[in-house]
Amino acid sequence: MANQELVGKKPLQVLEKIRENLEKLNEKMEVMIELQKHNRKDIPQLPTDTPLDVMTLLSMPDHLRKTAMAVCRLGRATADEIAQQTHRARAVESAYLNQLVMMGYTKKERKGRRAYFYVERESQER
Amino acid sequence: MGKILAVHSYKGGTGKTLLAINLSASFAKQGKKVCLFDLDFRAPSLATLLKVGKAEHWLNDYLNGACEIDKVLIDLSERINNKGHLYVGLANPATEAIRDMSAKDRKWEMRALGRLLALRNSLLNDKTFDYVIFDTSPGLQYSSINAIVAADVVVVATTFDRSDVDGTQRMLRELYDLFEKKTEVVLNKVLDASRTGKEELQALVKDIYQAPLLSVIPCFCDVLKAEGGIIFAAEKPDHPFTRILDEMTNKINQM
Repeated sequence: MANQELVGKKPLQVLEKIRENLEKLNEKMEVMIELQKHNRKDIPQLPTDTPLDVMTLLSMPDHLRKTAMAVCRLGRATADEIAQQTHRARAVESAYLNQLVMMGYTKKERKGRRAYFYVERESQER
Repeated sequence: MGKILAVHSYKGGTGKTLLAINLSASFAKQGKKVCLFDLDFRAPSLATLLKVGKAEHWLNDYLNGACEIDKVLIDLSERINNKGHLYVGLANPATEAIRDMSAKDRKWEMRALGRLLALRNSLLNDKTFDYVIFDTSPGLQYSSINAIVAADVVVVATTFDRSDVDGTQRMLRELYDLFEKKTEVVLNKVLDASRTGKEELQALVKDIYQAPLLSVIPCFCDVLKAEGGIIFAAEKPDHPFTRILDEMTNKINQM
């Protein structure tokens, strides 16, 4: 974080910013760890709106399909909520969800401290 | 909470639609609130078999996002002579509609999956249906796989036809298992069913499919002669076919 950014901010705001940055770093590390586990050097970068249809789900590796199906079922969820469905650790789900975002299958939106993952279906009501 | 069942098979002509209609009627006869959907958009048949003329809204419209699911449901409860409720949602059998559904792209199929998944909330939670039953098209059609993903249990209709056995084995391994779906096999149109013991058939199915056997349905001449015009579970309560169906629905109730 640039020092200039911190000037004039209250200690609580500074700490909050540090926490946010640490969370982002943590997510990136989780993705890297998972990539290493599955012996993958990189994730194929797909267009940002790649449809997550059933044929795509079928072609996915098992570990990602489980996460992607939970997102489809829940519509919009945090890593915690996905982990409750899949019975896997939150950190693992966070890594898989971020992989899915990087692959263009799911979207991510931050609301305060929480990160929500969802499948974009334009004309479909929530 | 209720359940969503998908009736599926590898090949056509295994008796999916007859099974789906009669399972729905059998559940409704037990006093359950049931909704049967025709997801065979390439060859819709429920409108004809259930003798429902023209629907105001089709399931096609719901999946297209053109209407809510309430508009699609047609109440056929008067066909079941007791307190149960039977509703149907029909696929549009017009050639133009079939052509339209065949030309949908992946994005549309993704939205359709979302709309089918949303039925869990709208029908099972909000409208307190006990069962939602999807009659699907055979094989690996988009609409069928969407139905399988949205379902809790897949009822797999199969026969002893060699290519059907081979294809069903593959689907169990490469489709239902990948989606972690609970599957139940129904052996339909079995010749000499009375001569082969139930336990022998159960062992055979376990050996071939490594999946539980829900039921064995012998080849009934009466059922073939009816040409789909009779809902046996509702109209012929003492027929052996009805008794087998009632056993099946009792088993599913206990799952």
